[in-house]
Amino acid sequence: MSDTPIISVAGLHKSFGKLEVLRGLSFEVQRGEVLAIIGPSGSGKSTLLRCLNFLEEYQAGEVRFDDQLVGYRRSGGGKLKLDSENNTRRIRARMGMVFQSFNLFPHKTVLENVMEGPLVVQRVSRNEAEQRGRTLLQRVGLIDKIGAYPAQLSGGQQQRAAIARALAMQPDAMLFDEPTSALDPELVGEVLEVMQSLAAEGMTMVVVTHEMGFARQVADRVMVMDRGEIIELAPPAQVFGAPKSPRTAEFLRRVLH
Amino acid sequence: MDYIWQWNQIWDYRQVFVRGMQVTLILTCWALLIGLVLGLALGLMRSSRLWLLRVPAAIYIDIFRATPILVQLVWIYYALPILSGVQMGNITSASVGIGLHAAAYIAEIFRAGIASIDRGQSDAAKSLGMGYGQAMRRIILPQAVRRMVPPFINEFATLMKLTTLGSVLAVNELLHEAENLINNTYRPLETYTVVAVLFGLMIYPFIWLSQRLEQRWKTRG
Ligand SMILES: Nc1ncnc2c1ncn2[C@@H]1O[C@H](COP(=O)(O)OP(=O)(O)OP(=O)(O)O)[C@@H](O)[C@H]1O
Ligand SMILES: [Mg+2]
Repeated sequence: MSDTPIISVAGLHKSFGKLEVLRGLSFEVQRGEVLAIIGPSGSGKSTLLRCLNFLEEYQAGEVRFDDQLVGYRRSGGGKLKLDSENNTRRIRARMGMVFQSFNLFPHKTVLENVMEGPLVVQRVSRNEAEQRGRTLLQRVGLIDKIGAYPAQLSGGQQQRAAIARALAMQPDAMLFDEPTSALDPELVGEVLEVMQSLAAEGMTMVVVTHEMGFARQVADRVMVMDRGEIIELAPPAQVFGAPKSPRTAEFLRRVLH
Repeated sequence: MDYIWQWNQIWDYRQVFVRGMQVTLILTCWALLIGLVLGLALGLMRSSRLWLLRVPAAIYIDIFRATPILVQLVWIYYALPILSGVQMGNITSASVGIGLHAAAYIAEIFRAGIASIDRGQSDAAKSLGMGYGQAMRRIILPQAVRRMVPPFINEFATLMKLTTLGSVLAVNELLHEAENLINNTYRPLETYTVVAVLFGLMIYPFIWLSQRLEQRWKTRG
């Protein structure tokens, strides 16, 4: 059971109208693995991540989470049909997601943001939700900001609160979409530190990032995407040291100047 | 330019103005109630993912925005009874007519308020596992309502002005009472001046409030 990949993607196609953004991706993420996704802008990294928890519908192929089809179910004739909202929600609740622009709820305090998921989705008691919230905010170093509103926090603090909000659901995997790209350079470190400690604890993580240092040091494998395709998927030493594809080499040359 | 204003006669008839204002307020309240309830429903339908809800709401809104309210009012008063057999009194007709009209605009305020909330908010709510209704109720609407309040108060002021159209259905609202009064007193200048001032007094506070709120919420971000 725990040998099966937590996420498995097969032949994934996604288009926005006529624009084909993902062109048949296949890969797996093992439990406890940290997968970094890098690639040029517009290559489909965010879209891929959003397909994993079905924030975007895909047109062909399969996404499986813990062996369950995400977003669709097979009807009698074997055809794929949109799954019920409830099933999709159940799967989403098992994946935490962290966004580039934080997306904290501005009308709620930091603690309320973190309690929201457990309270509303998992329907745990207020006590339990608050307990979880305090523990997590302690952990990301925001215990003194519990009563603050998101607008009163720095970008780095907001992103740490957003990570705590996602963790409060006690997810089996975390998806990060360029979590540090909107931050001032001096605030990047505090967020990466939290992510690094998560990885060290064995959290399964899929991280779209421009932080090559993070990809190199923390990731177990690095996926390089270009124009909707996977052009490289290997341990960081190989991707950064001896890339197979010339497109990877070209991309790395540009980002590592 | 040597017009001699005669206010004493107007003062003698002050009860007429009070009566007219009462009817104006009654019309406003009913129309507001209808406009609000229907407008909220239409606004939610218009924002729905299901075309079966979205399209009828869009058609309703477009029809009421693309035709003059005066035409809507006389249509409801004269044509609807013939088609439906439902005969409404003139106050009811005017309330319903203005309410149905306002609903189209309130629905748009509502839809625009929902649409103005960043998509990241519903993404975040969904990624936690919230359903559409939960995300709406707990995340989207509380933020949207704030942005809706100023335009909504504006719409309220507009609605109160529109009640003067009730006069074409012989509803004894303020303007119609004034017109009747002029037939007795032959003092149109004074009478219309009083009507204008009274409407101004009733409506201005709301316009002021709306501007204030808009200012305050803009600076707070
Ligand atoms: N909702 C959408 N509707 C239409 N096109 C979209 C939508 N979202 C993304 N796209 C397009 O899909 C392509 C891939 O976008 P995506 O955001 O996945 O790229 P990315 O790799 O995350 O880029 P970046 O590094 O800039 O974030 C782009 O061409 C983009 O314009
Ligand atoms: Mg992106």
